[in-house]
Amino acid sequence: MTAHRPGSFAIWLCGCTALFITAAVVLPFIGPSRIDVGHVWNRQNPDWSILTQLRTSRTLLGLFAGGALALAGSLFQSMLRDALATPYTLGVSTGASLGAVLAIAGNWHMTMGVTGVWAGALTGAALVLLLVMGAARRDRQLSVSGLLLAGIAINSICGALILLVHGLTGVSQSFAISRWLIGSLDAIEFRTLAVYVTVISMISLVTIRQARQWNLLAVGEAWAATRGARVTRALVGGYLAGSVLAATTVALTGPIGFVGLVVPHLLRARMGGDDRLVMPCAFLVGGALLASCDALGRVVLAPAEVPAGAITAFIGGPHLIWAIRKGTTR
Amino acid sequence: MSEPIVRVRDIGWVTGGVTVLEHVGFDVAPGELVAIMGRNGAGKSTLLDIIGGLRMPSEGVVAIADRPLAEWRPANRARVVAHLPQNLRADLTMRAEALVLMGRYAHAAQWFESDDDREVAHTAMRRCDCLQYRDRSLGTLSGGERQRVLLAACLAQQPRVLLLDEPTTFLDVDQQLHCFTLLRDEAGGGTACLAVTHDINLALTFCTRLIVLAEHSIAYDMLVGAALADPSWLRVFSDRLHVDRGAGTAAWVRYQ
Repeated sequence: MTAHRPGSFAIWLCGCTALFITAAVVLPFIGPSRIDVGHVWNRQNPDWSILTQLRTSRTLLGLFAGGALALAGSLFQSMLRDALATPYTLGVSTGASLGAVLAIAGNWHMTMGVTGVWAGALTGAALVLLLVMGAARRDRQLSVSGLLLAGIAINSICGALILLVHGLTGVSQSFAISRWLIGSLDAIEFRTLAVYVTVISMISLVTIRQARQWNLLAVGEAWAATRGARVTRALVGGYLAGSVLAATTVALTGPIGFVGLVVPHLLRARMGGDDRLVMPCAFLVGGALLASCDALGRVVLAPAEVPAGAITAFIGGPHLIWAIRKGTTR
Repeated sequence: MSEPIVRVRDIGWVTGGVTVLEHVGFDVAPGELVAIMGRNGAGKSTLLDIIGGLRMPSEGVVAIADRPLAEWRPANRARVVAHLPQNLRADLTMRAEALVLMGRYAHAAQWFESDDDREVAHTAMRRCDCLQYRDRSLGTLSGGERQRVLLAACLAQQPRVLLLDEPTTFLDVDQQLHCFTLLRDEAGGGTACLAVTHDINLALTFCTRLIVLAEHSIAYDMLVGAALADPSWLRVFSDRLHVDRGAGTAAWVRYQ
């Protein structure tokens, strides 16, 4: 049932990688307008340009955004020893949302060559990060309880500010804000996508390499310290990594829910609590799941699109209830 | 007697304006099995945490192998000092063997533990009579079974200094005796063992030395023989304790 040795690790990893690659190859072909493989082979438009310009970038964004959220979720669940932690628990994503909502409300479309929403989101996330770190630090040490308290407090303040801004704006901005807050995937420029994929891949690799340390922290801070881990450094590193993963993703997609909560849960129940296995698999499965949810949203009510964030909530909510009823979550 | 491996020099611990420990100092040599005793709130666990590097003392210095604790890198320290915590969250889903393998964190350089690491972990589990639980999830083990797994994780660290915060909590009587026999063996092999315990008779039977904390400091620091010869230290715990010398060789503290 649970993975013991490198051998069964490899089987799980291969399975999840196959899922990720299959999603990357198949999902771009799914959408309201049928794409003919023969036309694509001959590079005939519009099939060729829909596939390469729109669907591929959108699918890649879904794969890496889902991966980033699921990995950040499993990281925070281990690090904070909280089975219900998500990439949004420590407030950074809500800070990003606040920044983006302000940008939408203020009609800042472009700021210094960067889309206003992205600039706002990243600024908001960075400010919250500094605030939470500052509030949680005591005697040059960082503790899990300090991070959680500061994060949750700042989370609720940003949430209240979002509601306030939302209520004070005009109808069209208000609609745009609501829509953004559900979270959805859209085709983006390949240049932006390349930067995003590079950042996510690097942070993910560094995070997964530290899996033994997250395993120790999942037992307890004192436990980790007396087994030889540097606890404060690990907490700062983990918080930074999870925040960059979540904030860059939220900037591009809006706060998509449930991927970061459900995927690590599902995997832990099946493969045990070892982050050396859970983390890479969470990335791969989370990516495949979000990209699939987005593909589903493209066709289920075509020609209308259901945002990916709504689909993940529709699937994730019932799944979580089912999992808790079955008693497979910890 | 060999050179001390643990030197505690005049340490104090103050938290929130309350003095818990002050002017505490002693040495522990390899091979000693020291019982740290005292009433609730006497600062026993705090003292152990300070020696284990979990808390910085407000005053004073702890040195391990002639090197102040603050100068040790955590990973190097973990190869020398192991700490058995008082309790752990009860809802852990990992397998018992995985927890014991965590004791190899500072030893194993690779991402996966080697076969040698696994062998060390299995030996430790066998000694703690818990190898049979290796594939069980920790959440399904009883308190006493989990306690033995934790002790195995500490032994898997192959420490030269073993700090134990109430190692016999949750253990049945037979396992309590097994646990202290194991500690006596460890000490016999040259490990310096410090165990916080409330069980006076276990301490007198197995330990070589007693340190009794009272009034923020060390009230008594004596070898077991001296403790039995002059039982005045029992007053620290209660007026209702007396040393009994029966027909056998072992002395026994009984309740009135």
